Amino acid sequence: MKPLVKSLALLAALAAGAQVFASDTKPKVALVMKSLANEFFQTMEEGAKAHQKQHAAEYDLIANGIKDETDTAAQIKIIQQMIAEKVDAIVLAPADSKALVPVVKQAVDKGVLVVNIDNKLDDGALKEKGLTVPFVGPDNRKGAKLVGDYLAKQLKAGDKVGILEGVSTTFNAQQRTAGFQDAMKTVGAVVVGVQSGQWEMEKGNTVASAMLREHPDLKALLCGNDNMALGAVAAVKTAGKTGQVKVVGYDNIDAVKPLLAEGKLLATADQYAAKQAVFGIEIAVKAVKAKTPQNKMPGAIETTVDLVTK
Amino acid sequence: MEDVSTSTPSTSFAGSLRGTLGNYAALLAALVMMVALFSYLSQYFFSANTFLTIANDIPAIVATSVGMTFVLIIAGIDLSVGSVMALSAAVAGIAMLQWHWSLAMAVLLAMGVGTVTGFLNGAISVAWRLPSFIVTLGMLEVARGAAYIATDSRTQYIGDAISWLSNPVLFGLSPSFLIAILIVVAAQLVLTRSVFGRQMIGIGTNEEAMRLAGVDPRPVKILVFAIAGLLAGLAGIIQASRLEAADPNAGIGTELVVIASVVIGGTSLMGGRGSVINTFFGVLIISVLEAGLAQIGASEPTKRIITGCVIIVAVILDMYRERRRSRRA
Repeated sequence: MKPLVKSLALLAALAAGAQVFASDTKPKVALVMKSLANEFFQTMEEGAKAHQKQHAAEYDLIANGIKDETDTAAQIKIIQQMIAEKVDAIVLAPADSKALVPVVKQAVDKGVLVVNIDNKLDDGALKEKGLTVPFVGPDNRKGAKLVGDYLAKQLKAGDKVGILEGVSTTFNAQQRTAGFQDAMKTVGAVVVGVQSGQWEMEKGNTVASAMLREHPDLKALLCGNDNMALGAVAAVKTAGKTGQVKVVGYDNIDAVKPLLAEGKLLATADQYAAKQAVFGIEIAVKAVKAKTPQNKMPGAIETTVDLVTK
Repeated sequence: MEDVSTSTPSTSFAGSLRGTLGNYAALLAALVMMVALFSYLSQYFFSANTFLTIANDIPAIVATSVGMTFVLIIAGIDLSVGSVMALSAAVAGIAMLQWHWSLAMAVLLAMGVGTVTGFLNGAISVAWRLPSFIVTLGMLEVARGAAYIATDSRTQYIGDAISWLSNPVLFGLSPSFLIAILIVVAAQLVLTRSVFGRQMIGIGTNEEAMRLAGVDPRPVKILVFAIAGLLAGLAGIIQASRLEAADPNAGIGTELVVIASVVIGGTSLMGGRGSVINTFFGVLIISVLEAGLAQIGASEPTKRIITGCVIIVAVILDMYRERRRSRRA
């Protein structure tokens, strides 16, 4: 029940916030997220809201998300609504790195500053529209390599490993796979398969089970996120290979903490979801106050990724 | 089944046995062919290990598919099962984690949550005479939203406390699998041997005729949806047990897998015709396909294309089989 009360309170707070808008000139920042069903974005949004509460005098925040991560059309609509709402800046985690570029251009043309978080907008598409949009976010490839390198210490050349990739069409999934592969190449381990677990626990479980059967001497499963890692851990357990097959994940969600403690999950990476949106917002607010035009904003600001092993 | 009343008991038994084998033969042949194909393509596919994993993998889908078979037989549809699975697992997970309930109580709670959603599906569509497609589409959203609220949109790790249901107990098979088999047998008996079963088929074939014969179809329909909900609730906790965690995003798209399994098993989307045993074969076909494709390392697009084609081909074959049978009769 508590979350329900919380969300009602949030609604009330939002309604109250909306009334305040009319009377003052604080910058109005829109946070446009991907799926709020995904706990990663949920954490990001909560971080942003907490930050806004502490800095209530400096800016107002409207947070919006789409129903599922692939609903690009809905996200475009939200941005158009935000432009109509006359926000000063939009902090965007794009559902698609190319399809969102045209609407970003619309926003910039209307004088709205845009800051890109989480999933980088496509450089080629931006260039074509003559846009500079600062990207605030972690280097997923570097993060995955950190996790992979830690795992590699327990592997030797020739060991077989499998990779569970997220939704293969997303840039983050590709980057994480690339990072895992970089690390495996360094140690000389053989990647016997890269299959998509669609970022999901259940799909991850099915794919991990199949890999374990097909390669009985598999030494490790590298998972593009922690949900798939949870599925992989369950698959390893079902196969009776707990301890023999190492599992690593990504994102450091709450659910994997007990697994890290029990050693069922070797490592994961934390890219501080809660802070990412905040970094984006801070840059946007600063630029609005300083009246920095879009094309004078910095190109990229890298945020930290840390290895988590317990 | 139709010939029971017209022939003597002994021949009707032999006849129904022959009919039964005839019914299963096509599905069984398809299954054997798939297993043979994957065994040829993959060195390790043909092993006890593979089949045990598949067996322990399917109980959730089996339970849900049995409920869906009933719903399709009364010419309804239940699109909410995936969300209901997630919601029941979420509520049960929270009960175990935060209120420290035992697994047995959590299972009952999950089934209770499922039954309530199923009852609502049935009662609302009956009371306002709405197509179940729309009502359950609404419930799909409601239950998913409720699952997010219950878990705060976070995967809840439950751990060993919930794993009993999916740990092997008998020849490497889990209690979940045994429960699923029990459900299939019981449901098949209900469908073929009970008044309730005949009423379901009656509603699916000709609801008006049922009403004229003095049977009120409404309670039967509500009960069917409640059963489907109950089984989806059970499926939710079975799945949570296998993964030792309750994921608010669990079961997205499961309704489609389930409907595909049921339809591959020859249950008609138009109602009035269906078999729980055949549904079980339908589930096996889909699961063997999924496991096999993953094991040979097929890419995601290939998997989708092949699975889609198998569904369509299976239904076309079933249509021919059905046509031949009705011509004979």
